[in-house]
Amino acid sequence: MKVCPTKAIRVKNRTVSYIAGDCIDCGECIRACPRGAVSAHTTENLKVEKTKTILSVSPVLYTQFGPGYAPHEIDAALKSMGYYDVYDQCEMQEMFNVAMELYINENRKNKDAPWPLISPVCPVVVRLIAYRFPSLLRNIPPIIPPRELVARESKKNAAQRYGIGEDDINVLHVTPCSAKMISIKDPLVVKHSSLYGAIGINKIYNDVMKHLRHVADIDKAPHSSGIGIGWCMSGGEIAGMEDGNFLAVSGMQETIQYLEKIEMGLLGEIDYVEFRTCAEGCIGGPLTVCDKYQAKHTIQRLVRLFGPERTVKCGYLKQLYKKGWYSSDREAGPPVRTQQVRSIADAIERQKEVEKIHKMLPGKECGVCGTPNCETFAEDVADGKATVEECVFIKCFKNNTEKKREGR
Amino acid sequence: MAELEKTYTVKPRDFIRAGEVSIQIQSLLKSMGVTPDIVRRASVCAYESEMNIVMYGGEGTFTLRVDQDMIMIRACDDGPGIDDIELAFQEGYSTATPEYREIGFGAGMGLPNIKKNSDEIQVESHKGEGTCLVIYIKIN
Repeated sequence: MKVCPTKAIRVKNRTVSYIAGDCIDCGECIRACPRGAVSAHTTENLKVEKTKTILSVSPVLYTQFGPGYAPHEIDAALKSMGYYDVYDQCEMQEMFNVAMELYINENRKNKDAPWPLISPVCPVVVRLIAYRFPSLLRNIPPIIPPRELVARESKKNAAQRYGIGEDDINVLHVTPCSAKMISIKDPLVVKHSSLYGAIGINKIYNDVMKHLRHVADIDKAPHSSGIGIGWCMSGGEIAGMEDGNFLAVSGMQETIQYLEKIEMGLLGEIDYVEFRTCAEGCIGGPLTVCDKYQAKHTIQRLVRLFGPERTVKCGYLKQLYKKGWYSSDREAGPPVRTQQVRSIADAIERQKEVEKIHKMLPGKECGVCGTPNCETFAEDVADGKATVEECVFIKCFKNNTEKKREGR
Repeated sequence: MAELEKTYTVKPRDFIRAGEVSIQIQSLLKSMGVTPDIVRRASVCAYESEMNIVMYGGEGTFTLRVDQDMIMIRACDDGPGIDDIELAFQEGYSTATPEYREIGFGAGMGLPNIKKNSDEIQVESHKGEGTCLVIYIKIN
């Protein structure tokens, strides 16, 4: 309840509920709750026909089984589980890096462009901006994130290669992220997602373990460079970009602090900020199995193995970029209004009421009332969603004065 | 007419807490449902004037007043005052010390930035007595 960055969780009558419009699917609550009262909404419950399903794998999966297993062995394990095909995102991430460089260079000449630009990759960041920092939506470039590009292209490829319709294939994203499902159903950076659904690494982990075999000498494994693997950790996305003034920030509180700064007009000298709301980046995702520091160790080994050099060809990608191959069909957004729409006059009255109630409260931020802190409780009371007696201190004080009055 | 007024204090040379008042103002306006662009403009103004007090001013008092049509931010301090107000509004003009410049301030964009993001601005400053900056931003 207290970790929720948008104060969306309430605990009343022994059950956890959340205010649907306020939740940004960041997964902080999934990580925090020891009893598993919260779980992410993913696709494993839906019936998917494996033979018609392509998996698009977040490279975070490759970091979950230790440095002993190479990406292609993990891909092979997934394939042997019955899926139609398996696509690795790493190459697309390099291609995305090139596109973003081109976009930045193009816009550098235009001084009115809102600096710094903000990476569209982390869906929680995009959602956080739409909910709490809507004025920064225009800082998100209209470039399609790698997971969507992979889904779109893998469908096209499979249709060409096997002569089936694109609609007959579903692409599932294997992910460490609790927000992927919502970013598929209600995407804010493209109009319609090319993905069919998302499946948590923690739901597929045991099955992969069962099918995992060493298939070839790890050193001879075919793979793009280490850049894509590096993307899993904070700083990995900007590490794949050349020539520029970039910044990487990870962690929910840190992300919020930096977004506040950007909204106040700071950091204008930076070109591009890579935000990840999970600490240490995607390896810190709520649906991972392996501890994030162990995963980082594996990444560092794999990056050394595959090398830090770019493997994609920039000339060809420049042509694709010009053709609009990367361009999203929408600007990031729309802003999401979480508050009830009210006039400024009403808002002023409500604010005064909130402050009046807040002053009555003990300020111990205990959370016994089922609200994360006293301020949020005051807001709930002002909005008629709670009564002030739900605060144990106020109730106690009231009971005592009543008893005194009765002369006991 | 409905009106909300809040006051904050800003300590000069306190770089540890610098910017906190602006963040409070930013989140208060947001929770009141003020439109995003107005919140952004108000927080730019609040931040720049808060930093002016922290860097150059004396003991500062910050007032935020919101009514139906207008946001007003009044930033007053009892510092040394501004020598030449017209010059202070020139882009690129700054009296920042080399130390301030080293940590990224002193681009001479503070007051010009406030002017750009507000609808009306009044400055009153007397040498040795202090400075009072009043910023107005229309809500609708």
